[in-house]
Amino acid sequence: MAKYQINVAHLYGDLMNTYGDYGNIVALGYYAQQLDVALNTTLVSLENDFEENKYDFVLFGGGQDYEEQVVSADLPNKAPAIKRYIEAGGPLLGVCGGFQLLGQYFLLADGSRVEGIHAMDHYTLNQPDDRFIGNIEIKDPTNGDIYHGFENHQGRTFLDDKERPLGQVLKGHGNNGEDGGEGLVYKNVYGTYFHGPIFTRNGNLTLRVLETILKRRYPEVAWADQIAKIEPEYF
Amino acid sequence: MTVRSKVATMVGRSTYFVLHNVLHRAGSALPGKLATKLDPDVMSQLAQDYDVILVTGTNGKTLTTALTARVLSEKYETVITNPSGSNMMQGITGTMLTARIPKNSHQRPLALLEVDEANVEAVAKQLKPIAFVLTNIFRDQLDRYGEIYTTYEKILKGIRLFPEATLIINADSPIFMRGNLPNPKVYYGFNHEPAQGDMHAPHNTDGILSPSDNSVLHYHFITYGNQGDYFSVTDEFKRPQLTYAVTKLNKLTPTFSNFDIDGQTLQIEIGGLYNIYNALAAYAVGRFMGVTVDQIRHAFESNAQVFGRQEAVQVGDKDVTIVLIKNPVGANQVIDMMKTDEQPFSLLALLNANYADGIDTSWIWDTDFESLHDSQLQAVATGGERYKDLYVRLKMAGYPDQAVYPDLKKIVSAIEAMPTKHVYIAATYTAMLQLRSQLQEAGFIKATGMEA
Ligand SMILES: [Zn+2]
Repeated sequence: MAKYQINVAHLYGDLMNTYGDYGNIVALGYYAQQLDVALNTTLVSLENDFEENKYDFVLFGGGQDYEEQVVSADLPNKAPAIKRYIEAGGPLLGVCGGFQLLGQYFLLADGSRVEGIHAMDHYTLNQPDDRFIGNIEIKDPTNGDIYHGFENHQGRTFLDDKERPLGQVLKGHGNNGEDGGEGLVYKNVYGTYFHGPIFTRNGNLTLRVLETILKRRYPEVAWADQIAKIEPEYF
Repeated sequence: MTVRSKVATMVGRSTYFVLHNVLHRAGSALPGKLATKLDPDVMSQLAQDYDVILVTGTNGKTLTTALTARVLSEKYETVITNPSGSNMMQGITGTMLTARIPKNSHQRPLALLEVDEANVEAVAKQLKPIAFVLTNIFRDQLDRYGEIYTTYEKILKGIRLFPEATLIINADSPIFMRGNLPNPKVYYGFNHEPAQGDMHAPHNTDGILSPSDNSVLHYHFITYGNQGDYFSVTDEFKRPQLTYAVTKLNKLTPTFSNFDIDGQTLQIEIGGLYNIYNALAAYAVGRFMGVTVDQIRHAFESNAQVFGRQEAVQVGDKDVTIVLIKNPVGANQVIDMMKTDEQPFSLLALLNANYADGIDTSWIWDTDFESLHDSQLQAVATGGERYKDLYVRLKMAGYPDQAVYPDLKKIVSAIEAMPTKHVYIAATYTAMLQLRSQLQEAGFIKATGMEA
């Protein structure tokens, strides 16, 4: 039994599960284990409530159009609790559809509007006959780190002024192919179009998020020193 | 047949003759292309001589078609079928063009054709099938826009044109219960466990919504992926009564599977649960067409060579099994097959990310390498152009010590360096081609083989 425990909610993990998003939890668990921290992962889906005080980290991945509409219809039941979690500084990673659904709305390729939870004010337009597909590299303006990933999205997302992008695009398209931003950071929420998945390929980022998670849950432990000793995977 | 079709048929046949007998080239696309250009209706004219059965779905249709053709040949004199890969309009026209019906045949000949999911409507319109065989629909990473529901919609468009055609359906796949089709139906699936459990599919599974109300399906048992004996807890929806069922799994190994269908023991000379589904589909089509169980058993036993996908190669003193991996459902099935191996083995996993492999490598994170800890696996090595992705994937799955082979030119020494006699090589498509060319160069396999 590990000395420390953190609770992870995989939000709609059975419906929003495209392109390896689950790997983010695998990577988090891999580093956590080296700190004697165990991850307890719970699926929070259509049949479940989201209890915001239970979780230390939330993964909200991307899905197929069909499932995203089913999730959008269910989200009003969970939206108030998710918003309270976010405003309280809860760490969350939203990928692709999960990133989009945290905002106001997104448009599917055929133009139909899928409602988000309005936790943040970004919105997502469509590009009827195109997709942004390919390898992507971005630079995190806060620390100069370069992140690697693979983007594959139809939607073009535009941030609100309270949000900042996760990075500036060096190679690829990013949120919308226009403003040079990729992803978002708001409080401890990260949004991204990166598959890859982002936590598996960018160990520095993963360790920073892990540190945030652990400091909230176990503030008495000197996590920074221990985390500095871990070798991050990066490719 | 119209004069125009006769001319088109003649041109197609002579093109085929030149390609095949003079230039010694395989392939059926060009003759079909020429004939279709001369007469767009040539295929429907040709099809009038046959009872046509179409096989479609994302996975397993090639093997199902090959095996079903053998089963039907036990009873029917003439069964024409398209070669693997020729499953679009032109390839199918080519197949119809080049087939000959024996002059004094007293049976109506059969055409059993594999059809690409996106081509079902166009092909069905021309061929007027008496039956459709539906294998399954999984998301393929190669098909970037392909969502399972849109793929199924494409298939439905073809089926809706023929409400009298019989549907021979994998009932374990819940997506096929969508669409409210009036057609007569034959359902096949698994009943090897009592319908007592109550479980959900693992998080990483696609297609688990109930067709009736989009609630998350529960299962009495799951065979693999989203397939099994599903039911809804919010309404009356459940898997339909099976017409033909696997009733017992007697012995599963990497090289053969022994099982019962409706209490009758059968065997196929290949491992993997997914291949039992293919065999079950062939059984269902066979029974629907009046083939006896004994004839089906004979077809299964005498046709080991249809199972070409999995290749055994001797490299020095190593017994090497080569398998293709390309998406999580398929890779998980390969892993499940390896877990049935009772002898110690090693795994050499090769990943490329060229177009034919799928340029996005994320799918390896949906593959359950962790479950190999419950197997005889002794050592892991990774290679290929994207070896680093796999290296980290397997490291995070709990295999810290891996040799890595970025350059497949060293693959023979990589095989020799593995600590066990039995070595599995799981490779993506272009990595497989590179591997094969190295094995050829070293003289371990002959120059022919896999078609591009
Ligand atoms: Zn449930």
